[in-house]
Amino acid sequence: MDKVLTDAGMKKSFGKALLYTLPMLLITFMFISGGRPDFSNPATSLAMMITFLLVNVLYFMMHYSGKTDQYRAILFIIFAISLSFTLISNMIATRNSMSFSQADILECKIPFCHLVIPMMILPAAFTQSIIFPGSIIGGFASIAPMIVLWLVATLVLGRGFCSWGCFYGGWDDGFSRVRKKRTITRINEIWKWMPFAVLILVSLTAALTLLPTYCSWICPFKAVTEFEKVTSVESAAKAGVFVSLFAGFVVVLPVMTRKRTQCSFLCPLGAVNTLSNKVTPFTVKIDKTACNECFKCVQACPLFAISRDNIRKGEVSVFCSKCGKCVDTCPNNAIHYGIKGVPAGTMKYFSRNLFLFVSFLFIAVFSAGSIINSLNSFLKLFF
Amino acid sequence: MTESLILGLSSGSACLATCGMVMFPYLMAGSAGVKRIATDLSLFLFTRLLVYTILATVSWFFGQAVFGNSVVRNVVPGILYIVFAVMLVWYAISNNRIRECPAKIVTTVNNKKLVPVFLGVVNSIGFCPALLIILTNGATQGSLVQSYLSFLAFFIGSSVWFLPLPLAGKIRKKEVLKTIGILATGLAGIIFMIKGITNLIGGLIYG
Repeated sequence: MDKVLTDAGMKKSFGKALLYTLPMLLITFMFISGGRPDFSNPATSLAMMITFLLVNVLYFMMHYSGKTDQYRAILFIIFAISLSFTLISNMIATRNSMSFSQADILECKIPFCHLVIPMMILPAAFTQSIIFPGSIIGGFASIAPMIVLWLVATLVLGRGFCSWGCFYGGWDDGFSRVRKKRTITRINEIWKWMPFAVLILVSLTAALTLLPTYCSWICPFKAVTEFEKVTSVESAAKAGVFVSLFAGFVVVLPVMTRKRTQCSFLCPLGAVNTLSNKVTPFTVKIDKTACNECFKCVQACPLFAISRDNIRKGEVSVFCSKCGKCVDTCPNNAIHYGIKGVPAGTMKYFSRNLFLFVSFLFIAVFSAGSIINSLNSFLKLFF
Repeated sequence: MTESLILGLSSGSACLATCGMVMFPYLMAGSAGVKRIATDLSLFLFTRLLVYTILATVSWFFGQAVFGNSVVRNVVPGILYIVFAVMLVWYAISNNRIRECPAKIVTTVNNKKLVPVFLGVVNSIGFCPALLIILTNGATQGSLVQSYLSFLAFFIGSSVWFLPLPLAGKIRKKEVLKTIGILATGLAGIIFMIKGITNLIGGLIYG
């Protein structure tokens, strides 16, 4: 049946797309409204309605148009911006500044993010302690819920977490779409192993110093979230590193290469998620019988997950984040979402529908809070 | 000590990637029983430790003689860290890095029993950028004992990689491991570059 669909791609009729969107409408309504819609606050109600409409229109469009990446990217980018806005506004509300002091560290008031997780494993195993100065449970951005969310998402989506769940990835994903043409066209593929080198270094340094070294010294997203108060040459050097890495890996290089360079070359959690691609049931498959080796997917992939060798072998590499860009780019529908164990070229519709439902539900529910909060803050200016 | 250990761990992988395949056949040649492998490897590592102990002593006394006042004590090592760190990063990213182990020539000696000793000496004084950084580190330590500890940490970090040498033939994806090792070396170089810049600025501002 799938063979006759090649020309039509993954498009659906209006009614069918609406039917596929119904479960998402229901579930997101329950999550966003908490089951009991309260219209007493007009700004909050409007923010909730806009968020509800946004996620469901995007999901509908994925089914109606048959395209995945562009609609995913819209939500992904909005998520990244709104999360940074939420974090910053929360910090300014609680401590009047984006910077944190030593007292905040001692009182464990630092918001937790998933990028710290790889650094926590060795110290937790050897010392039974958590090296991050945040609250374990309760309060804003606490450790336990974030670890559970990441773990569940990673086991189900594999590295798909990097394109459907990470609230930082939208930054370099967004900047990688700014220009139509690439300025830097040739990038040595050995750099895609860099996150593993970063992972080894930060895990070891964290284990030896019992400090989250990636957060202290490397994380480029400190530039758009929170950072240590500049009180010494060392803290000034750290601030310099954060800003330089953000400018280089999140802004300039993605614009010049049209690739997600922070995710590809720096993120240690990306390395862990890459390994998790081995266990996830979802994958992206290459149907060699339909492929005419135009290599458009190689150019399109933002994470260096497809090489010419991969095309010839008929399988994408473990670096794939299932963003759907290659799937949308392929003129022959030779690349498609798939399920492990199912041969390439079969069950294209079913695999895509199942993957989209799971992954989109995760990002919709995960991002809704931040988007509502940001919209709410904006709308309060008018109400 | 932590920095030295990290540098040892990261550069050790690249060192093994370059020299492991030269040393492996010589350490494992002949009727290579477990006892002989262990003896040769121990001899090789002991020689490295001995050479590092000498280098720790020399570098510390050199530092005491040269880095007199506190400004020089911060600024000169700061510059040296930056220079050697740039060399280390260059080593990691350059396509022209030495692909052959400098210790290869030693394997031509007639007395095969001495090969691990010679390999240990040449491997230790290969004057790679990582060793130059650790020499600078040793020279700036507060006491001779701290200098020894710094070299000991570097020795432990870099030696860990040699322990599974007998299993080298069984490791799949050697190229990937080599790539990750070399990239980690480059990152360690960046850590020392930042340390150098911090030292330099701190020395210039605070003396």
